[in-house]
Amino acid sequence: MAFGGYIREVRELRRRGDRSFSLRQVAGRVGIEPAYLSKIERGQTPPPSERTIRRLASELDEDADVLLAMAGKVSQDLQEIVMLRPKLFADLLRQLREAPDHAVLRVAREIRDGDW
Amino acid sequence: MIELRNDRLAFSFPEVHRDARCSISFMRTLRIPDDDHEYPLPPGLGPFPLHHVDDYADRVPQGWSDHGGVFMPMYQAEALWISFDGQYPMAVKVSAGKIDAVTGKPFRNELRRRPQDYVVIPDQPWLDGFCVRKGLIRQFVAMPLGQGYTAEEQLTGAAEHGGLQIVAYPMKASRYEKLMAERIFAHYDMDAICCSPPEPSAMGLAPGGMMRQEVYPDDHGYSAWERDVRSRCFVHLLNSGQYRTVTGFAPPYEPPTAGDYTEAGLPWFEYFDTDLEALEGAPRLDRLDSVGARRVKEGKPPLDEGANVKPKPAQIERLRKNHAVRDESSAW
Repeated sequence: MAFGGYIREVRELRRRGDRSFSLRQVAGRVGIEPAYLSKIERGQTPPPSERTIRRLASELDEDADVLLAMAGKVSQDLQEIVMLRPKLFADLLRQLREAPDHAVLRVAREIRDGDW
Repeated sequence: MIELRNDRLAFSFPEVHRDARCSISFMRTLRIPDDDHEYPLPPGLGPFPLHHVDDYADRVPQGWSDHGGVFMPMYQAEALWISFDGQYPMAVKVSAGKIDAVTGKPFRNELRRRPQDYVVIPDQPWLDGFCVRKGLIRQFVAMPLGQGYTAEEQLTGAAEHGGLQIVAYPMKASRYEKLMAERIFAHYDMDAICCSPPEPSAMGLAPGGMMRQEVYPDDHGYSAWERDVRSRCFVHLLNSGQYRTVTGFAPPYEPPTAGDYTEAGLPWFEYFDTDLEALEGAPRLDRLDSVGARRVKEGKPPLDEGANVKPKPAQIERLRKNHAVRDESSAW
């Protein structure tokens, strides 16, 4: 689903249980004009900045990385991680490209327990 | 398994249940006055940064690599509280310098039923210190090992371990499923640099000022816990003065004094859960000298808490389970 449509769907879902999720109030809390949010939701303008997407994610209780990906963006902190060791992380990501989720999760780093 | 995620220890037990997850973080806070008055809960000023010991194995104090785990920076006499977050019930043991913070007994991996030596998530949203009496704790305050202040040194006479030791046990999957079916869950709405560096110094936790906080009994019963499955982590405390030497990062700012914070009109907190009784405190811990008491005995001046540490009623926010948010990091 397109970014804007998804935002609208999630916001409307929240609004059914809580009227403070109206377009106007959500826009206010996120710090943008209601008209701008409306255009975003209807896909009439490109997705907003990473900062605004993060605020929307926080407001709608959605995962910021997922929303950024839907908007065709990669978060700044992830870019910095890759830029720091580009070859290492590029190789790693390519190797994991086809891996199933459970295999990717195994790569997560465990805190080592020692002798105490 | 335990992972480090955004300065939180993320525990998961997928072998027990896919929902068996919780996270534990260590929150920066004010040091409350150590004057034997009882204080409400101070705020959270954001989490302490956590690092894998293995990432700095050549720079951390000797012995830490053997322990594994993580470390975080603390200033001398800085206080902390431990934040527990999760919906899946877990029994969590907390020790400081391998002294159990609930019972005052020596650390052991296993859960003890009588006296109960663990806290239960999600009933217990946080722990601020050593459980000294029913409804009262003495705040966790970091002090250098070797000076006799820490609970470990006062009880064992040795400055051997320091740090914090955390062990988590998940609830049995069958009990959890039964609970889910009954839907009786509580749902929490929670979210000096040296030119020639000296040997990085380790810290331990000493009892500080007195605070009103209840440690809740195990409402599920001892048989609810999957006692063959546990994850544990040694959390080392590094003196903030050596943090940059070890990690290359600047240490966090020093927290404000309790006096400055109160003077600014900022909130303190009280948490209550009318459904649960509190555990009795541990006489072994109650008999320990607080940092302040020990300094008096040594003829040293008291630690600076700032003036006028008298939270007004309007400053005290009363928190219930569904409003258990105490992290005021945004205020700073």
